Amino acid sequence: MSIRKFLALTRAGIMESLHYRLGIAVTLFANLIYLVLVYFLWKAVYASSGVDVVNGMTFTDTMIYLILATALFNFLEMFVVWDMSRSIQSGKIILDLLKPMDFRTYTFWSYSGSHVVQFVLTFIPTFIVVMIVTGGAIPMGLNLLYFVVSTLLALIVNFGIEMLVATLCLYTESTWGINIVKETIVLLLSGASIPLAFFPEKVREVISYLPFRAVYDIPLSVLLGKAGSDSLEGLLKLWGLQLAWAVVLTVAGIIFWNISVKKITVNGG
Amino acid sequence: MSDEAILMKGVCKDFKVLNRHEGLKGSIKDLFSRDYKTVSAVKDVSLTVNKGEIVGYLGPNGAGKSTTIKMMTGVLEPTSGEILVNGLVPYKDRTKNCENIGVVFGQRSQLWWSLPLIESFKLLRDIYMVPQKEYDDMIALYRSLVDIEPVLHKPVRQMSLGQRTLSDILAAFLHNPGIVFLDEPTIGLDVSMKSKIRDLILGLNKEKHTTVILTTHDMGDVDALCKRIVIIDKGSKIYDNDIDHLKSYFGSYRTLRMRIGDTWEERLIDEKETDVMSVIAETQAKHKIKDIQLQEISTEEVIKKIYEGGS
Repeated sequence: MSIRKFLALTRAGIMESLHYRLGIAVTLFANLIYLVLVYFLWKAVYASSGVDVVNGMTFTDTMIYLILATALFNFLEMFVVWDMSRSIQSGKIILDLLKPMDFRTYTFWSYSGSHVVQFVLTFIPTFIVVMIVTGGAIPMGLNLLYFVVSTLLALIVNFGIEMLVATLCLYTESTWGINIVKETIVLLLSGASIPLAFFPEKVREVISYLPFRAVYDIPLSVLLGKAGSDSLEGLLKLWGLQLAWAVVLTVAGIIFWNISVKKITVNGG
Repeated sequence: MSDEAILMKGVCKDFKVLNRHEGLKGSIKDLFSRDYKTVSAVKDVSLTVNKGEIVGYLGPNGAGKSTTIKMMTGVLEPTSGEILVNGLVPYKDRTKNCENIGVVFGQRSQLWWSLPLIESFKLLRDIYMVPQKEYDDMIALYRSLVDIEPVLHKPVRQMSLGQRTLSDILAAFLHNPGIVFLDEPTIGLDVSMKSKIRDLILGLNKEKHTTVILTTHDMGDVDALCKRIVIIDKGSKIYDNDIDHLKSYFGSYRTLRMRIGDTWEERLIDEKETDVMSVIAETQAKHKIKDIQLQEISTEEVIKKIYEGGS
């Protein structure tokens, strides 16, 4: 097994993403607008609460969390569901099935290039800006390295969720609704739009074991040294949760996909 | 290794299709319906294709051509019967089978849309793990067969349909597969591009001894490329022989269309019995002919003839 064919896909993905440079610029611009909105929204929330610290987070904490969550969202966002439903409807999927590579592996590596581009062009600049503006609110140390590990795990968990939903597309011809539901659930329960600290105690308890948290909340907590990630034990616990979900979702995804493809190959597309 | 590239024995393929009902009420009923009917797309097809052959796989729309090709490539599993492609069972070893086949679907492209062609080539080289030397040789061969310079550095989305089809065919041969499936490769192309593509396919087949399975509705493709023809209709194989034999069916037939007054009149002419000129002369003696068209016989008519004459 050679890594060459995977890296070739990454390389092509990078080139394709860079090709749409206008798209990257628009993403950055849209982020800016979104963050202005978030800023004023949370400013109002803090003003009306009358205290500086809400649920253990200051206004600055919340902003850092949400800005980085947005940047992380751009980086992790995948369009597997959209692309898959399109290629099923157009019949193009047959050409992807006819690559000399397992379909799941092929899809994963096809997207890897755009992740690299998004990481370098949106996440890193955002991170640097936040770092400079907040002047040392983000701890600088081994947590950066831990964050990278955590992000890679988040990537696998996210891909697992995407592939499970995408496989559903093989059954339903309309995927728009399913995808919207998936996106809303992920954004809400992962901490990407509201920091998980703001959820009621009981709800948070439940959410903390769900896979969605492994996508945004855990990498961010690790980066910011929150949720017990400053101790080795806490860190391993968070990683363990991510790893467990990565394994579960991957295995479930592979089984579900194999059954579904079998159904298609038996009954026709 | 044996000489057979493809071996099919008694292959059948049934699809389960939901019985749809008419009207709004019917559509609602369909939501809960378990009323399936079975449609046989391919019925008991046996076929042996030897290495290096170019086989024309013909039949009217919906005859089961694509279904057969999908079974050969491993995307579909046959309901019954046996298939061996390069000695492998395609649907069981799909990934492995894919390493040794190439596919072109005339209407779709496997190339990377926004990248120059050369990048797609490099990517395919890495995906199929083609050694650099073989890749270089292949590109050199391409250069000798067709002028690829104008397309090599052009992004695929900027190509004309003809250039794109040409590129897709080159991409399918790149990893030097044992078998290449070409599904209507010349559809929608102009005459000069068609002949360019035919020359290319012939050249590659000759140089690399690649087995080619070609489906087409264009008798010109068949004439230029295939020595052997397999025809299927309604899922069953109705003809399997060399092209010279088939020519006795369609070669001497022409469809003559004449416009008399405001209506087109059609005559199927067997040139063994009579010739086109005498029919025209005969008609002209009685009517004024405003316009004349002469057409090659279509696949559908060939099939009709085979049914009538038996083979």
